[in-house]
Amino acid sequence: MFLKHLDLTTALRPLYLPDEVLLFVQDNVGLYEGKFKIPSHQNGSVYLTSHRICYIDTEDPRKNSVAIDLKEVERHEFYAGFMRSSAKITLFPKPSKRSSIQNRAISNLSQPSRSATASPSPRTDSPFHLPTSDPSPVGPGTWICPICSFSNPVPSNFDPYTASERTPLAPCLACGIKPPYALVMKAAIASATSRPAQPSPVPVRAPIPVRGRTDQPRSQPDTWHLSSSEGTDVQKSATASFQCPRCTFLNHPSLLSCELCGAPLISQDASRIAQPPVRTESPGPVLNTMPLPGMESNEIKISFRTGGEKIFLERLKGSMTQRKWLLQNAPPVPTVEERTIAGSGSSTPTGERVKTGGIAGLEQRSRELRKNNELVIGNAFEDLEALMASAKEIIALAESFAATNGTSGSSDSSAVANALGLVTTKDMLGGGSNSESLYISELSRNLAEFLTDDARGVLRKAGGIISLVDLWAVFNRARGGVELVSPLDFEKAARLWEKLKLPVRLRQFKSGVLVVQASDRTDEKTIKTLLAWLNDLHVFPPDKDLSWDWQVFGGGITAQDAAERFGWSIGVAEEELEMAEEKGALCREESIEGLKFWENWIDDTQAPGGRQLYNVI
Amino acid sequence: MTSNHDPSILSPDRTLPPSNPPSQKTFPFPRDYHFPPYFTRQPTLTTRHAQLQKWSSLILSYCRYHKIWKLSLADAIESDLFWNKKLGKRLSREDAREVLEFMRKEGRSEAVGGKDGSVFWVWWRDPEEWAGLIADWVDDTAQKNTVLTLYELTESEATLSQDFHGMDPDLLQKALSILVKRGKAQVFGQEDQQGVKFF
Repeated sequence: MFLKHLDLTTALRPLYLPDEVLLFVQDNVGLYEGKFKIPSHQNGSVYLTSHRICYIDTEDPRKNSVAIDLKEVERHEFYAGFMRSSAKITLFPKPSKRSSIQNRAISNLSQPSRSATASPSPRTDSPFHLPTSDPSPVGPGTWICPICSFSNPVPSNFDPYTASERTPLAPCLACGIKPPYALVMKAAIASATSRPAQPSPVPVRAPIPVRGRTDQPRSQPDTWHLSSSEGTDVQKSATASFQCPRCTFLNHPSLLSCELCGAPLISQDASRIAQPPVRTESPGPVLNTMPLPGMESNEIKISFRTGGEKIFLERLKGSMTQRKWLLQNAPPVPTVEERTIAGSGSSTPTGERVKTGGIAGLEQRSRELRKNNELVIGNAFEDLEALMASAKEIIALAESFAATNGTSGSSDSSAVANALGLVTTKDMLGGGSNSESLYISELSRNLAEFLTDDARGVLRKAGGIISLVDLWAVFNRARGGVELVSPLDFEKAARLWEKLKLPVRLRQFKSGVLVVQASDRTDEKTIKTLLAWLNDLHVFPPDKDLSWDWQVFGGGITAQDAAERFGWSIGVAEEELEMAEEKGALCREESIEGLKFWENWIDDTQAPGGRQLYNVI
Repeated sequence: MTSNHDPSILSPDRTLPPSNPPSQKTFPFPRDYHFPPYFTRQPTLTTRHAQLQKWSSLILSYCRYHKIWKLSLADAIESDLFWNKKLGKRLSREDAREVLEFMRKEGRSEAVGGKDGSVFWVWWRDPEEWAGLIADWVDDTAQKNTVLTLYELTESEATLSQDFHGMDPDLLQKALSILVKRGKAQVFGQEDQQGVKFF
């Protein structure tokens, strides 16, 4: 299914996957399948994250919420809206095996460059079904040599996500000078953004810039590439000369690299080898399924009833090109040791690592580690794009630094991680007349999540109850100094909890103090725990002689005692005790020792087990 | 019609427990009297009401025990009624006054003439009840149509077993005037030499 079930947090927001980042939220949207509205999915919020598009229904969020994985989205279309029809964004699913033909029919109209034979496994990112004879396989993208301004291809083994300064870089093909790391990095990122959403399995060694209808075929490569869409065309073109995808020089078809610029060419042999398995896959019986009417309705439309579609579209485009979900499956960032081995390995021509032992070895290792860290940091901050590419590494580094700097660092690093994602900020939210209220409600959910987060245990640490002011401070601190929330917005958001049916609630004591507590923690529960405590005072003998009969009356407690026992702040303890007094469960005693609270023996309807004790006396 | 009634014994002192020990046994205070918060004014309405009621019944039974008809606030707050010396707790004058005010509303006390209002009648039986009690006693002892002095009524040995023995003369006057209104008695005589005849 294209639409997937969605797990929600306690605050009725999508449960994020690891590394998933929230990009945009817009309320008041509806879902269509094909031309038809999907029942009970007509009023909700859409969350755009780096991995998914999530629809969360307003009426029945637990039941009617769905998500679409971006990796399964083939392309998207934008309809600006006209007269009374709202703006819509249509999402076309990637073809499954069954519907590939049909999708080909659609996409062929608009995308001449795209391979007709869609891959059955769309995630095979590597386009290299290349002949092994090719000496230097080249990935898409070029970098301009700063010395001679010759445009070199980015080596195919250069992966912007795993590469580091130590990755060996090929020198410029024209002048032989090694390029700076950041330059190649930028080129690789730039080309990654223009890479197709679904890489073609047809051997391609030149940039394929086309994805979606909106993009125009970009540059050189398409002349020959177009022909590869049908196997027979390739056969025909085989006799003709072969145009270099970069410099357009017509090479002899048997050449593997361009005679003029040296760019690698796809050999006719290679295309012939690659073609057959693909061809067996695509046509045939699938054709019969094409006219089925149900197949057509696989596309999902999101209708933006109160605007926000423009920003949504922009960010959707962004996340479609970034393809963060690939990162999740990518191999982990190489550990320090691996890198060290690779580094020292490349430094010695024999490929053997120089072995040092003892303290010297340890020192050397720490030196290398430090050097490596320096490089990573240096690269990352050289420019913004590089920083974005290596964000993961930098966070990991920051965390390790924090860990070595002391124990207090742990909460700060989580604050950093928090600041980099999952936090609702004003610019993440759609426009429209009610954008302010949307911000508040998102903030409200955000807060609820923050409070109920078990790892953080904000509420638990404060004894299940925290004053709103304290919470405000903690929350803004956790935001790491970015997008701080104003007290006004904060209070508004807190007041929304009840309406949004979130698991925390705002409570006002009669003195006007606002506190936050879990919604299952009612006054009755608080009183119960207080009374249970007071009841203990009947049983356990006091440490000093008391002038009253403690076995009958127990003892009195001050706000200080209660605060100590339950981990409350003194102010909260006072308020809770007075609340219990007001409910009649407790009564007070004013003395030189201060204000003490007792079980209410005065009011017989409240006195705990009063009747049987009466008889005892 | 003789009465050696001395007004001097009607002094307020007489209404106080130390000077009026009808019994050597101490008054059995209720359980609440030993509960420290009992002496603190409760801010919660329902608790406050329960507290006032408990004080009210304590004062009534205390006064009944010690045969107190008139309670002087100034003296009472120094007595063990309002001062639990063991606990080191006492009811403040304001709170005590509030309790008596509460009793007044319940019809169980009444300020005695004075403007400062520091002396109160405590109606552990109100005048109506006293009147009924006296009439019943007269009935039971077949003293109708006989003339009794007021002194005889409250101080003679014949009434020793009765609750109205030793009753405050002002209260007696009140009770008798109720009987007069009902036409069951007639009071005659001078100021200090009053007699009463029951019908």
